[in-house]
This record gives sequence, structure tokens and C-alpha cells, in this order.
Amino acid sequence: MIRRALAALTLVACTAGLTACGDDDSSGDGSGDSKELPTKTINVTVSGDSVTPNGDRVDVKVDQPIELVVKADAEGEIHVHSDPEKELEYGAGTTTLPPFTIDKPGIVEVESHALEKTIVQLEVK
Amino acid sequence: MRVLDLSSGGSLGGSLDNVLAHGIGGSKDLPIPLGLTIAGAVAALTVSFTVLAVAWRTPRYDADTSGRPAPPWLTRVVESRPWFVLWRVVGMLAFAYTVMVAIGGEDSLLNPLFGIFYVLLWVAFVPISLLFGPAYKAISPVRTINWAFARLTGGDPDRGVFTYPKRLGAWPAAVGLYMFVWMELVYPFATELGPVRLWLAVYVAVMLLGGALFGSTFYEHADPFEVYSTLVARMSAWGRRRRLEGGDDELVIRSPLANLDATPVVPGLVAVACVLFGSTAFDSFKDSTRWVKFIQGNDVQDHGLTTLVNNAGLLVFVLGVALVFTVGTMLTGVGPDQPRRELPNQFAHSIVPIVIGYVLAHYLTYLLEVGQQTIVYLSDPFSTGHSNWFGTANWQVSYFFSFHPTALATIKVLFVVTGHVVGVIAAHDRAIRLLPKRHQLTGQLPLLAAMICFTAGGLYLLFAA
Repeated sequence: MIRRALAALTLVACTAGLTACGDDDSSGDGSGDSKELPTKTINVTVSGDSVTPNGDRVDVKVDQPIELVVKADAEGEIHVHSDPEKELEYGAGTTTLPPFTIDKPGIVEVESHALEKTIVQLEVK
Repeated sequence: MRVLDLSSGGSLGGSLDNVLAHGIGGSKDLPIPLGLTIAGAVAALTVSFTVLAVAWRTPRYDADTSGRPAPPWLTRVVESRPWFVLWRVVGMLAFAYTVMVAIGGEDSLLNPLFGIFYVLLWVAFVPISLLFGPAYKAISPVRTINWAFARLTGGDPDRGVFTYPKRLGAWPAAVGLYMFVWMELVYPFATELGPVRLWLAVYVAVMLLGGALFGSTFYEHADPFEVYSTLVARMSAWGRRRRLEGGDDELVIRSPLANLDATPVVPGLVAVACVLFGSTAFDSFKDSTRWVKFIQGNDVQDHGLTTLVNNAGLLVFVLGVALVFTVGTMLTGVGPDQPRRELPNQFAHSIVPIVIGYVLAHYLTYLLEVGQQTIVYLSDPFSTGHSNWFGTANWQVSYFFSFHPTALATIKVLFVVTGHVVGVIAAHDRAIRLLPKRHQLTGQLPLLAAMICFTAGGLYLLFAA
């Protein structure tokens, strides 16, 4: 009987711990509502088979404008694997791509189409 | 999981080349917060040692007596001919539809085949089996075709030319499951129609051949989807038990723990669990920044080693899980006549809950979101843009969980921790049944450590990848 009670108590304590922790975190989520978020600029360099950045994580906010500035030795295409997907074309030289936003939290990959490499992973919060 | 983003096709308005050239995509879950990760790990630790300290000391679960018979009307329904035929027909209709889109569908992610293969077949059967029991077995089209062949030739579908070799156990299923996760996670063209069609064709061919050679026992041991579904169903409330008065098995309702304990110990059971757990962990890991940077770096991609390194990564994860579990179960004192080698399989059922908890956590949004997208595409099998077979073509996908990342993260951690708790209890009960008295407590410690490794590792991957 005592064993059972102890076991139940542990379960309750653990569950409480988990949910309490969850609540703490949720308070942070509401702060992303502020309007007029500054544009996030990401500089991308493509030369030959290599691209920089090479798979880094970049923190952005939901609905924050994201602008890719691409310096490339040949024209190409960048895919943003959001839902729905976005495709952006750039030319040789330096191209500033039209800014876009992502309306849903998650990890979104920005990929070079021809090289099949992940340029950055956007961590949208 | 990473290879498939069905929604990407929809926005392109049929520009097939673009959809085809890459399979990678789709927005994925945010990492779970650090605080929640630690809370989950601490909860898992605490529960583990509490179970060890306060749980019962005589084995509780007995396959022959646990549970109570299901209500007579329910037993009548599920054992009736129409019920049996109904699910066989459902399975065959699904099979016919799959063949149709595999052969006649577009080679694009708009084709529902990809969702059928990677989401419905692979992931959806986990919660379905957890709720309703061995679901794949009930609809299995390969069983139905085998039955029809046997009928036509006047044979018995349960008997083949040979008896299924007992020592093979579930090994063929482990191999089949590995072939599936290899296709999903390693093979670079996993989202092209040809390879998926070929995979399915080989699956059906091997299953029919196996059924002809060994009878329908073959499916119980070798059909990867059936073995996975039936293993998950061991965690459902639905079991079968020998009648005390003899005769057929009867349907019983019992606690998932008692049901799990009745899992038959067959060779290869550990392999099945390790393939499932290791591959899911690898799926998580391969999205981590460190792995992406490594695999795209000069050492790997520039030398054309990407596929090789991915292959190695998957294999290392599966073997790593197997090693940790094997060592964890074997590092105990045993009785004089107890072969240590048999211990991993005898404890294998206890990692099933950990596997299920982690798989559910890992695939939850994928199942819900890409699953909804698949239901939308099912209405337009040939991707014409104007068919609406089932009236679902205009459904909008709800991204509820993606918009509530904290709730999502909490649910994921709860799945993982619940799986851990159930696993530890299952292992405890088996330990006090199997191990000699003086090793019962100390003998559990290495296995407990292995389980904590799995749970903490799973949580770490949800946090860091």
C-alpha cells in the first residue's frame, strides 16, 4: 500500500514538474507580437560548388521580413522549404532577393537548388 | 521524415521538375526548450529509481490469467465473418488504390503514393495499433492475396510447402524494417515515384513468395509492417488469452503492461526494436546543425561520400542502440542454468514502450500535418488539379501544433517520459520473474542505465536537433 502511494506520488510530482515547466516557457511566446520587426538580412556567397553559410542556424521571428543577399558567380535558385514552399531566383553578381516572411513557427531550410546544400536553417519562433 | 514535404508540391502549380529535383523540405518542429528537456530527464531518472525501490517483488503479469474477457457482444462482433471480411475488403481497396497511383500517378510529390508510403503505412499504424490492436494484420493485403491463392489452388493459406524455421524469428522483419528506413532516410531519391514503386513491388513479391513457402505464419514474423503494427498493439488494451477450458483463444481486455508482458519472445525481437529506435534517433540527428555542416563540408560532400556517410550514420545508430541494450541486459548475475545470451530477447519487450513514446513524439506533427495533406491528395490520385474523389481535395491543412510550440513540446516530452516509465516497469516485472533472487535488484541496474540512456538521448535529440 505504502509502495503504491509512493509510486503514485512520484508520478504526480513528475507530471506537475513537467507541466509547471511548460507553463514557464509559454510566457515567452506572447512577446513576439510586436509590429514592425526589423528586417533580417542574410548574406549568402555561392562560388563553384561551395556556399556560405553552410547549414548554420539563424534565429528569426514569426512574420519577421527576411532578406537574402546573394553574391554568386553564376545564376541559380534558392528554395525556402516553408509551407508552402518559396523559390527565389538570383543572377550572377550580387542580387538582393525580395524579402519574405514565415508565418508559422518551426525550422525552415533554405537550400541551394543546384548544389543541393542547406544554406541556413531558419529557426522561426 | 525529412525527405518528404508534400505541401511543397501544392504551391507550385504543377511545375514538376522543381518538385522532383529535391525531396528535402517542409517546415519542421522547433527544438524543445532546455527546461522541459531537463525536467523530462529528471522525471525519467526519478521514476526509474522509484520503481526499483518501491515496486512489487513478486511477478505480477501472467499471460494466462491477466485481463478479463471482453463483453460478449464485442467478442461476437470482432470474431464474426462480416467483420473479418469488412477489413479484408478495406485492405484490398487500399491496396488497389495504391497500385493505381503507383502505376498511373504523376511522378511528383502531388502523387498521394508518397504520403501513403511514408505517412499512412509507416506512421499512422502506430497510433491505430495502439488504440485498436493489430490493425495491419486485419487489413494486410498480402495475407488476403495469399488466402485467395490458397483457395484457388485448394490449399490451406496457413500452411506452406515448408515449416517456418523457428530460429529465424522476427529477423526477416528486422531486415525489412531496415530496408524501409534506409529508403526513407538514406536513399537520395526517396521521393521519386520509380524507387517507391519498386520498393513496394519487391515487398509484395517477397511477401507472396514467403506466404506460398511457409504459409501465413510467415507474415507474423517477416512482414515488416505487420510485425511493427502487432508489436505496437502489445501496448494496447486488447489481448488474446488461452481459454482455461481449452479451445480457441479468447479476446480479453487487460492493462497494456500485462498485454506487453505476453509478447512472445522470438529471435530478432531486439533487432526489430533497435531498428525502429535507432532509425528514429538518426532521423532526428541528421537535421542537427553539426551533422548538416559535417555532411556538407569539404570532407564529405566534395569527395562524393554523402550517401556512404549517411549509410554509416544509420547503421551506427541502430547498432549503437543494440549494443547499449545488449550490454544493459546481460550485465547481471544469472542462475546456474540460465544462458546469458538469451537475456536481451527476454527483455526486448521492455524497450517497446520507449520506442513507441519516442516515435510518437518524433512523428507527431509529421503525422498530423503531412497526414492531412495526404488525405487532400488522395482525392486527386492523378494530380489533375480538378478531381475530387472523396470530397477532401479542398480541405485546408491545420497547423495547430506548429502554432503552439510549447504545447507541442510538452506533449512530446510526456510521450517520451510515459514510454520510459512503462518500459522500466515492464523490465522490473520481467527481472523479478527471470533473475535469481539475489540478483533481482542489482541485475536491473545496468538495464535501467541503458533505458535512461535511451530516454535522455531521445530527449537530447528533440532538444538539440
